[in-house]
Amino acid sequence: MFFFRVCLMALRSLWIHPLRSVLATLGVIIGVGAVVAAMAILEGMSARFASGFESMGSNKLFVTPNVRRRNNRLVGNFDSLKLDDATAIARSCNAVDTVMPQINSSVLIKFLSKNTTASLLGATQDYQKINSHFVKEGKFISRANVQSKASVAVLGAKIKRELFGGRPALDAKIKISGAGTLGTRTFTVIGVMEEKGNVAFTDVDRQVIVPVTTAMDRLYGLDSIQAIVAEAVSPSDADIEAAKTQIKRLLRRRHKIRAGQQDDFQVQAQKEFVKQFSQFTKILGIVLGSIAGISLVVGGIGIMNIMLVAVTERTREIGVRMAMGAQRSDVMNQFLIEASIVSFLGGALGVLMGWGLANIIERLTRVFETLTTGWSIAMALGMATLVGIVSGIYPAWKASRLDPVEALRYE
Amino acid sequence: MNRPLIQLSHLTKHYLMGTTVVRALDGVSLSIQEGEIVSITGQSGSGKSTLMHLLGCLDRPTQGEYWLDGELVSSMSDRQLAITRNQKIGFVFQTFNLIQRTSARDNVAVPLFYARKRGVRRAAMQALERVGLTHRASHTPAELSGGERQRVAIARAIVNEPKILFADEPTGNLDSRTGTQIMDIFHELHRSGVTVVLVTHETDVALQAKRIIRIRDGRIVDDRRVDDGLREEMATGGRSSLPERSPPLARPAEV
Repeated sequence: MFFFRVCLMALRSLWIHPLRSVLATLGVIIGVGAVVAAMAILEGMSARFASGFESMGSNKLFVTPNVRRRNNRLVGNFDSLKLDDATAIARSCNAVDTVMPQINSSVLIKFLSKNTTASLLGATQDYQKINSHFVKEGKFISRANVQSKASVAVLGAKIKRELFGGRPALDAKIKISGAGTLGTRTFTVIGVMEEKGNVAFTDVDRQVIVPVTTAMDRLYGLDSIQAIVAEAVSPSDADIEAAKTQIKRLLRRRHKIRAGQQDDFQVQAQKEFVKQFSQFTKILGIVLGSIAGISLVVGGIGIMNIMLVAVTERTREIGVRMAMGAQRSDVMNQFLIEASIVSFLGGALGVLMGWGLANIIERLTRVFETLTTGWSIAMALGMATLVGIVSGIYPAWKASRLDPVEALRYE
Repeated sequence: MNRPLIQLSHLTKHYLMGTTVVRALDGVSLSIQEGEIVSITGQSGSGKSTLMHLLGCLDRPTQGEYWLDGELVSSMSDRQLAITRNQKIGFVFQTFNLIQRTSARDNVAVPLFYARKRGVRRAAMQALERVGLTHRASHTPAELSGGERQRVAIARAIVNEPKILFADEPTGNLDSRTGTQIMDIFHELHRSGVTVVLVTHETDVALQAKRIIRIRDGRIVDDRRVDDGLREEMATGGRSSLPERSPPLARPAEV
């Protein structure tokens, strides 16, 4: 009851100077807004990465040519991985379950008078299993298609819609061309994939999948592949490590790399990406957190400043309250509660601002998905209130130490 | 005789102003009985305000003892002083000292609030009723006339049913007619048993008490009952100051 009345009193005195109260809390509003927006972005990213990696499966390894960036130029062997390497891994590495060679590129697809760009994936019959992404109409690329370098294609859901709309796409002839291709090639649509959205930052619905051999020979004239995706027999660390070691040993022998020489390929487990990513989000969190922290400190200074002004301005009122029997602790509490209420309300405005900001960022960039959680709101409000209490302590203490006689005399 | 409500013995208050010691009160002894109405008078700088601050438990003496209602106030902690002010003392100031932008009723409720009492609203309204202002309960000080403000202040002073009421120049900021109305309220309160101490330099106001204590240079120079003789004496001696009687009594209030 007493507390409630003190709160009412505090609200009333804030209401008397609305502009001043808003200005005083500006720092807190911005600080809390920054915290909420930052957390929304981080949480959104984490959620997306987590689901992205989950959809990829956590027992995957990626084998790629060892290409590094040196003096702003890519150096290394781009064509060190061969189709046979994939076959060899599948045959002789017992820690590896499924292996799929792949080629990625971007192409232009034409059907009659309609054009669209798509990402081309040269893959094998194992794609569906490895990516848990399945064909919806028609059929997927078969082992026979891969062996015979068949000119067949499976379309992503969005590509199908763009080229065919509601009309059937199966058995249609599409033309594929693009930078680096030997020329325009005609493919027969044999299937349409189910809609899935993003899988690890690729929109699989904008993919066109062809046999990896066809992509190599007919489309690009390549004798190498861009990557090998291998699935370990289980997602356990031991199996993944074993798979990694086996692949490395095998490829070094196949590529005739002598002891002491550097690999011309690299093997990365997906778990390592996850680790790298969580490190990245941690750093981002620290950076955003310190920005938010600094603005909260500034906000705290703003509140302290305004509370000091309020104490000076209301010296006489404090004297009167003391004359009427207010304890020093009553005066202290009054100003402390006032400071925390200002700060809490600033925090509430900040939450709205941060939430709005996160949504705007999401709309504008279309890269970040944001997620404002109850936990981040509660934390932001808690921090705002804490800032209010901490920055209110000195002014409140000052008020409570006033001499009643002096305070009553104050003009 | 009953135990006096207020008993001061050799009360001294010294201030340090720069390097010089100011003797605001210099060994004041005095007693006031419950139910009295007393004026404390003197020119500005005489020490009457300091005396009122000490009597009102707003300050502690440098030396000497102050007993209020059987309790030794002069050695109380800040906390005990605050409780004493809240429970036993009511203040009325020259400048009203109401809290701005706060309704009359809420102003009156302030002492109840610090007493952590329940039924605040009703008690506040009852106090306003005693000063005849229930119809202005929801008005803020800015919407009230000077006389009304002082009546709110009086309601606030009596809301906790204090033993003693201190009024510091209560009519100083009011015209004479309103001043008379305010003085009537004090008489009314006095009749109902409240001890009233008026601190004033105005002769008219001082003479409305039954006893006048005159302070000069931090000492009591005169302390006597108000009778026709004194009234006459003061009427001829000038309006704004009391005549001096010599020799001044060293300890005028022997009880």
